[in-house]
Amino acid sequence: MAKGNDKAVTGRRDFLKLAGLSAVTGTAAVAAGSVSAEAAAPVKGATGYQETDHVKTYYKLAAF
Amino acid sequence: MGKAKLELSVSEEDALRANLYRLLAHTLRGAPARSDLEHFSAMDGDATPIGQAVGALSRVAAKAISEEVGREYHDLFIGVGRGELVPFGSYYLTGFLNEKPLARLRSEMSRLGIERRNDVSEPEDHIAAVCEMMAGLIVGDFNEALSLEEQKRFFETHIVSWARHFFTDLEGARSSVFYACIGQLGAAFMDVEEQAFAMV
Repeated sequence: MAKGNDKAVTGRRDFLKLAGLSAVTGTAAVAAGSVSAEAAAPVKGATGYQETDHVKTYYKLAAF
Repeated sequence: MGKAKLELSVSEEDALRANLYRLLAHTLRGAPARSDLEHFSAMDGDATPIGQAVGALSRVAAKAISEEVGREYHDLFIGVGRGELVPFGSYYLTGFLNEKPLARLRSEMSRLGIERRNDVSEPEDHIAAVCEMMAGLIVGDFNEALSLEEQKRFFETHIVSWARHFFTDLEGARSSVFYACIGQLGAAFMDVEEQAFAMV
């Protein structure tokens, strides 16, 4: 880092400090390989098809 | 892409930048899991544009149902043939996929030692991929962390020309509710990145 740049770098750091970035916490968003599809428990209030245990049982019994 | 090394030589501000790029990459790569939504709903923002966007994201995440966010993601980005939005740099810059912007990015990736994943069929100039690359370049996932001058060059060549437009489109998209917040957050962050890089 060139000596003449120190002031600019400090200015940039100060700017970033005040930019609100620390609102983004933790590294949960970072989990490389985190699985988006989960075993579905029935969700109250959700519209549309839900793969509840009841539905899964139906599919299991309906399989030939 | 590889796991982040211990970020000993990266300043706190730069680690926070990388973290936000990763959040954007994560939510734009695929719909968030329930655990992600819970995490987002616990975040808190101040009055800055980024802070306000985080606050909005937190409120929406608290009420969101992950299956519905999954449908939102599908409508926005997948659809039938295409989604409401086409989140690729080539498309934003030329109107077509697989164009010169992608070629430029591939050259850059080769130069920087960033490899393409084998299990992904889409072109590398997807907004999630470039955000993930930027995060990795900041903290040194691929080789040495890039200097600010080098980060600025990457940002100006591959991100600034189109990402803010994409995030604004995402904010206003018909299908977006949760993703409107991601759009708001991404746009605010792009402004901050641009202003910060102007100081480099």
